[in-house]
Amino acid sequence: MTNKKILIVDDDPDIRLGMNVRLRANHYDTFFAADALSSVAEARKHEPDLIILDLGLPAGDGFVVMERLKKIPALAVIPVIVISARDVRVNRERAIKAGAKTFLQKPVDDAELLAWIRQALGEPPSALKKPEASRQPVSQPR
Amino acid sequence: MSEKTVQVLLVEDNAGDVRLLREMFRTEKADSFELTHLLRLKDAETHLAKGGTDIMLLDMGLPDGHGLETIRRAHAVAPGVPMIVLTGLDDEVLAAEAMKEGAQDYLIKGQIENRALPRALRHAIERHRMQTESDLIRAHQMQFKDEFFSHVSHELRSPLTAIRQFVTILLDRLAGELNAEQGQYLEIVLRNVKQLQAMINDLFEISGVQAGKLRVELQCTSVSDAIAYAANTLQGAAKAKGVALSTDVELQLPSVYADPTRLQQILIILLDNAVKFTPANGVVKIQARIHEEDPSLVVVEVSDSGCGISPDLTERIFERLFQASDPSSAGRKGLGLGLYICKDLVTRQGGTIVAKSAPAQGAVFSVTFPVFSLVSLIAPALRRDGRTEAPITIVATEVGSQTGWLSDEMRRDQCREIRNILRGSLHSDIDVLLPKMGFAGAVELFFIVAITDAIGGEAISKRIRKQLDSSEPIKQAGLIFSTSYRSLEVGKRNASESSEDHLENVAARIQEFMNEQIASRTVEND
Repeated sequence: MTNKKILIVDDDPDIRLGMNVRLRANHYDTFFAADALSSVAEARKHEPDLIILDLGLPAGDGFVVMERLKKIPALAVIPVIVISARDVRVNRERAIKAGAKTFLQKPVDDAELLAWIRQALGEPPSALKKPEASRQPVSQPR
Repeated sequence: MSEKTVQVLLVEDNAGDVRLLREMFRTEKADSFELTHLLRLKDAETHLAKGGTDIMLLDMGLPDGHGLETIRRAHAVAPGVPMIVLTGLDDEVLAAEAMKEGAQDYLIKGQIENRALPRALRHAIERHRMQTESDLIRAHQMQFKDEFFSHVSHELRSPLTAIRQFVTILLDRLAGELNAEQGQYLEIVLRNVKQLQAMINDLFEISGVQAGKLRVELQCTSVSDAIAYAANTLQGAAKAKGVALSTDVELQLPSVYADPTRLQQILIILLDNAVKFTPANGVVKIQARIHEEDPSLVVVEVSDSGCGISPDLTERIFERLFQASDPSSAGRKGLGLGLYICKDLVTRQGGTIVAKSAPAQGAVFSVTFPVFSLVSLIAPALRRDGRTEAPITIVATEVGSQTGWLSDEMRRDQCREIRNILRGSLHSDIDVLLPKMGFAGAVELFFIVAITDAIGGEAISKRIRKQLDSSEPIKQAGLIFSTSYRSLEVGKRNASESSEDHLENVAARIQEFMNEQIASRTVEND
């Protein structure tokens, strides 16, 4: 079975790298975008199975990205998980209304994030995957 | 300097009163006041909507509007126009309530001195202007502080996210093996990251406390559920520290009138503190019982066998930013916000919190909450104006989802909207929209106790359905609803029955009806 594809949208390179390591260890293929514009372009190019979306982005924010995705039929169906450091009191409701599966506040608990990813992808829940993937060096996302 | 003519709107249906009031402006300079007189509230609403009114003089007994409702309606059309209400001699209680609803002042008809009216108008306008201004300043300050907190929190969270990510990556051996010592040190890093995260959350919470943003929705709430939840949450931390955490809840403990989420939050803060300040092999206990002296209260007590609090500090610990050093982490301090948040939440739910302690003998935190009482909720409606024997009709509104299941999010988001609609559909301002009854089925149930007969009940039901039908948010959320009502045959109070007993009886009948409604929903959905 081929790996599921996840697009990670975050303007912080450290967070992108951390996310990359974690998701690859759990056998997901990862792609990246660092701003609102390129995130839609990357989504078109790779047609991912899931998008992990930060809210604070250059050139528009996560809400703008969700709006644009909705307008493109092929991309409108991709589940989105919002991960942000913004005020949960204001943004959780707003994100879910905008169509996100959930809003997780940074710093995120990895087990929780993986559980949400599996649910969004319709995969059975399972424990955190550990060592075996760890020996391969992980390449730095762009 | 020529002053602008003050546009006064007088809404009064008694011609004699109008003549008297007009008379009072005689001595004023021409052009200083211009009086528009209307007889009906409906016309006043139209006039106000046009704008240009500087102040209104409003009679509370109009042909098409009565009592506080008059004020609410006028306010709704023109919230920025100051208002003075005119009342009869024996209506001072009502007048006081009018001030609470936003009236600037009240004048008692027949007791207005000649020069007093123009002066009262000028003062009311000035007071209203100053109030608006200071409200605006305060709102700006609040907004600035909120933005500041939001900004700081955001900026702190981002680097913390990266730290947490990579520490867990290392700990999960995703970047290679670790030796035991390295693993141990990384666990320490992670623990501290989590502590920092908790502090940022506290900071955030506090901005909500001060802005009054933390919602407290009082309802019929189970204390034992909240205790079980809180104890369960802290069990892990207690075990890790070798502290025994036990619960002791009195059987048949009545429900309290509180917000279930906030109650959990309070108990978690107290238990967390107790565990933190108790050394290994110590004991932390949480218990609940009816208050020994006042059976209208439930007491929840969190006690520990820790280092205790010196007696001169038992009040200061609830102050904002007060810090007691935590012995377990070598003088490490928290932000000093936990107990402050706790006290704020307890107070806003009508409870009290006190700490008792002697050094080296542990500490006891006692929190009280009012017992949920239907009698006290309906008493004001029934006692007023000798309405004890008035007919009573209960209107039940059931709201469900087209999908058959109402999610927690939907409940949270929509209940407010629905309650607002229900409140707006009441027959009179003494009818009571009961709080949530601690019922968690596939639907949500709302109850109104209306001082009216079956015909009134039908009218209220109709109004509710119409309002819900035309509500955009309800439509969008895909909610479905139905209403039903039942008149209680309370009958006349018999001579042997005291009015207290009568109230108890009525409350019992209402409770019975609600239980039936709740039970029928529960069976259907089992």
